[in-house]
Amino acid sequence: MSTPEGTSSTYTCPYCRQVSDGGGYSCTSCGAPVDIRLKVTKSGWAKQPPIKDMARIKFNRSTCQISGTQVPVAEFNLDGEDSIYFSHHVLLHADTKVRLEALKMGGGWNRILAGMPLIMMTAHGAGHLAISADHPGETLAIPLAHNHAVDVVEHRFLVATNNINYRWENSGVWFTTQDGDEQEWHYPIGQMMDRFSAQGGPGLLLLHGPGNTFIRDLSQGESILIQPDSLIWKDTSVRMHLHFEYPRGQYWFSSARWQAKSMWLRLQGPGRVAIQSVFEPPEMVGSIMNSSPATTHYW
Amino acid sequence: MDRIECQWCKAQNEPGRTSCNTCGAPLDQRNVVSDSGWTEAPRLRDMTEFRFSSSTCQVEGEIVPVAEISLAHGDSVFFEHHVMLWKEPQVPMSALNTGGGMKRSIGGMPHVVSVAHGPGRIAFSRDATGELVVLPLHPSMEIDVREHAFVVGSHSINYSFVRIKGLANVLHGGSGMYMDRFVTHNEPGIIILHGYGNVFQKTLQPGEKILVEPGGFLYKDSSVTMNTVQQNIRTGLMRHNMYLAEMVGPGRVGVQSMYHHHGHSE
Repeated sequence: MSTPEGTSSTYTCPYCRQVSDGGGYSCTSCGAPVDIRLKVTKSGWAKQPPIKDMARIKFNRSTCQISGTQVPVAEFNLDGEDSIYFSHHVLLHADTKVRLEALKMGGGWNRILAGMPLIMMTAHGAGHLAISADHPGETLAIPLAHNHAVDVVEHRFLVATNNINYRWENSGVWFTTQDGDEQEWHYPIGQMMDRFSAQGGPGLLLLHGPGNTFIRDLSQGESILIQPDSLIWKDTSVRMHLHFEYPRGQYWFSSARWQAKSMWLRLQGPGRVAIQSVFEPPEMVGSIMNSSPATTHYW
Repeated sequence: MDRIECQWCKAQNEPGRTSCNTCGAPLDQRNVVSDSGWTEAPRLRDMTEFRFSSSTCQVEGEIVPVAEISLAHGDSVFFEHHVMLWKEPQVPMSALNTGGGMKRSIGGMPHVVSVAHGPGRIAFSRDATGELVVLPLHPSMEIDVREHAFVVGSHSINYSFVRIKGLANVLHGGSGMYMDRFVTHNEPGIIILHGYGNVFQKTLQPGEKILVEPGGFLYKDSSVTMNTVQQNIRTGLMRHNMYLAEMVGPGRVGVQSMYHHHGHSE
């Protein structure tokens, strides 16, 4: 089929913002289907459709094929000049000709303290290897343009191309509680956050989101409250801080220990945020004594 | 008259059928194969029915599927007792003599394998999201299955267990010390497995090798040899020994996408 002279067919993926010709049945950058209508809730969350079974994503000279629907497998056909890295426990199978090595990383002690994966591996082509997570959910593909970065909650990372720089930072979201004589530190989104940035060209980042995934593009200054454990990733421009609510006033029944309270994570634009439908509610026993910057509301 | 061959189990079906009479795989859909040759196990449609011996099996549900078996008189099935979901009260039960009680205990395998005898209905399911994989066995076939992965087997199948050789497997878990072995002699039979997540199968050529995370291994033809390969990984002062299962053809290998990795109990 030819394109009329002077016109060109372009398609901007609403999930990854990458431009393609839209000719296939899925976005070549992130695998999202192109032949279905964008489903946006009345409140503005777009449901990210699962990557179709056997959809192919292209990066550099290699391809990644997503197969399966419950616990999808990302199967890479690596070119001889391409390589990827991943946490060692997500490797499902590999050709014997794929070269597997450890990724050199510093800060091992901090990683142990933060409960982050200690061993990361690189796989060098040419050959096939496959990666999968160990929870039902969706594989999320995030193509990163040169110098673009995203922040990812720990334990959501699956695999990235080697030109994506990986470092981790304090999440800056914490609070302490006092229950009797015991003081406890809490990190609702984890003590650390992973930051991935593409260097020297575009790269591909794959994450695993348990349950279903929803994304939202927050405008400048727009904010939304979410369950802290539901956050998957966000643009680095999105700021976050805690928000506490006391439905029955600061103290209920004259007891700080049993006061009714709830905690939220406030995300403030501009930028994209992605959340998952599966989460664990935060533990909230005891009085909140101290916290990172937070807002409070008494009902 | 042209008959329809099932792409999964190769059984012949009469024209007009939409699912295989032997394994339940959809006949009106092509096999889904990845670029590197892994075939997705067929997703059995809700309420799909297939036959074995004189009995029938109906698969219900799609997230944690249930296998509901209508046993004919003279037929029986065996299973690990904890996978039974419900049964009709009149279905007689007995225990299968597995032998090797001490070894089975050390290997973490069930002591009691139950047998349900027809006539009557009985249903089975597992405890997590996954797929039921139906493997019809022709006469004189042998297949090895990850421990605790089999849901139910038909009475014509001989059930035993084999030890995985290699000290690394003993010390480091992986797929465990033992695997279930299912053998048919003169009669065909059927086994139904449960794989966590999605299940994929690849047929290895003679001498062809593939490395598999031991926690992802689900089943293999007994002609496929399984060796433990150690990978030493160093990161600064940290050192980690990683064990992978090297599978060498010929034969089929099945993997599950949601797996139990090293050091984690099932």
